[in-house]
Amino acid sequence: MIENPELELHPQQLIEKNKKLEDKFNFIKAVMLDIFFVYYSILVLQRAIYYKFFLDLRELPFSWLQVTVLFAVSVVIGISWASTRTSLSCRLFGIAKDNRVSKWTTEIFGWFLFDITFIAGWIVTKISIVSLFSPEGLNGAERLFSALFQPNFGIFDDALFAMIETIYIALVATLISIPPTLLISFFTARNLMKENKLSFTVYYILRIILNFIRSIEPLIWAIIFSVWVGIGPFAGMIALLVHTIASNAKLYSEAIESIEQGPVEAISATGADRVQVVWHAVVPQIVLPFLSFTIYRWDINVRMATIIGLVGGGGIGTMLMQYQGLARWREVGLIVIMIAFVVWVMDYISAKIREAIY
Amino acid sequence: MILEIKNLHKIYDNGTHALKGVSFSVKEGEFLVVIGLSGSGKSTLLRSINRLIEPTSGNVFFLGKDITHIKGEELRKVKTQIGMVFQQFNLIKRRSVLSNVINGKLGSLGTFESIIEKYSDGVYQEAYKCLETVGIFDKAKVRADSLSGGQQQRVAIARSLMQNPKLLLADEPVASLDPATSNSVMQYFEKINKELGTTVICNLHFLSLVRRYASRVIALKAGEIVYQGLPSDIDETWFKTIYGEEAEEVEIR
Repeated sequence: MIENPELELHPQQLIEKNKKLEDKFNFIKAVMLDIFFVYYSILVLQRAIYYKFFLDLRELPFSWLQVTVLFAVSVVIGISWASTRTSLSCRLFGIAKDNRVSKWTTEIFGWFLFDITFIAGWIVTKISIVSLFSPEGLNGAERLFSALFQPNFGIFDDALFAMIETIYIALVATLISIPPTLLISFFTARNLMKENKLSFTVYYILRIILNFIRSIEPLIWAIIFSVWVGIGPFAGMIALLVHTIASNAKLYSEAIESIEQGPVEAISATGADRVQVVWHAVVPQIVLPFLSFTIYRWDINVRMATIIGLVGGGGIGTMLMQYQGLARWREVGLIVIMIAFVVWVMDYISAKIREAIY
Repeated sequence: MILEIKNLHKIYDNGTHALKGVSFSVKEGEFLVVIGLSGSGKSTLLRSINRLIEPTSGNVFFLGKDITHIKGEELRKVKTQIGMVFQQFNLIKRRSVLSNVINGKLGSLGTFESIIEKYSDGVYQEAYKCLETVGIFDKAKVRADSLSGGQQQRVAIARSLMQNPKLLLADEPVASLDPATSNSVMQYFEKINKELGTTVICNLHFLSLVRRYASRVIALKAGEIVYQGLPSDIDETWFKTIYGEEAEEVEIR
């Protein structure tokens, strides 16, 4: 039998001990967040507002020394700020004393952070009403739009073939993604993996890898694979496949996490092993959501396949890129209309199918 | 003694102290009923017996063996001998009644066999026999969620019978059923207890049901046993200690 020293404590003491530990931990988090707030404010004020707006510099001066010194200053201010009752983070983590001072200061500092962020954002995006409505700009737009609305049907058969290629790229990527996604999703569902430390580690590592893959856009994957396997539909398909597996594994595992626990409890109470519990209590509850996600993903993939065609992933996107490069806007017009039509049809069909299975 | 509980504590991660040193023992063939308010620890107690919940301290002896800390294969073997029925039935809704009943046998079937779902004729015969015991033989092929509440609970009972359990746990098995159905479901527990000799531990709310079916009663209040004895001995005073001064007994017929 394993002796647990914590059991010697009275439960009430145990709860209090945990509470104190949690408060300490929250305070450390609050200090770090306060340091971040201070550092962020200083950098935004200095770089975006002072350098860019007031001095109107094109090349921002940068030195590691300055950045480090500023950080050290922020650390000092942040730590002292967090230990006063005016701290913003202490309030966010719920460890501040609830009084009028803390309430006022959080409001003031909160608004301050929001305001400088918005102002910096305005400066960085170079918002300019003038260029939106300049005469030569409007002229160019008019030329482009009038060409787009007179599509050239001469290339219809080529465009149709490219479009079909795109749809197939999306379909194949979706179909191939199903088995690996299924397998991975069980290992990334918290409720199945939290039971022991080893499985939880696997869960955690897999999640990190998937998040990483998902955070890279299919467009970037297409560029990577067009170097790897050469420009063309195959590169586009693999790019979509990789991203589909990562995104759908998340959706699938969330579906697994939201199943009813009752049947799982009942099946494990019969003495079934882990595989049996998953197969007989989890799987029957997730078949429909899985189907629905997969069909929806095909729909998304058709849209994405057109985009990744732009960087050499094959299909209609590549064709669009070629005509755009030649500035043949009437052909571009036709391709755009075809893409819009197919996307609309796919959207409609996938919505209908998903409705039908639920 | 089929079951012995010694000084069982359960403290949940959020600090709730659900069981505070519960001790009792159960003889073979008993129909033990656990009563108490919602939140008094009845469900925690039942789930600690078959280790759906890990007790914080204390011991559970099943058939004389300490099962509080066993793991893996050994734990699964013990679980196959303890059936459980739940308030929410916990059937697999989209599957047939028959496959729900066969699910009760999973613990003694091979993993591969149960995944391809090719069972021997013996398994099917056993499943039909269990369905016959609870009187829904004719519903074997229909989907579980097309049945009424009472019928679903009978399927759940059949599923636990499939385990040939030495001990049957029932966590408020009739709490989501109407009074008439409640009584008929309870009669199946009585039948299993009397005819098959299975020991039953059952959480119940209604005293009229307790008086009718229990051979012995344990009352929990805030995680502690406040009463242990015969159902007929629960009088007005005991009732008030268990359920609080304000409570009044509601009859269900």
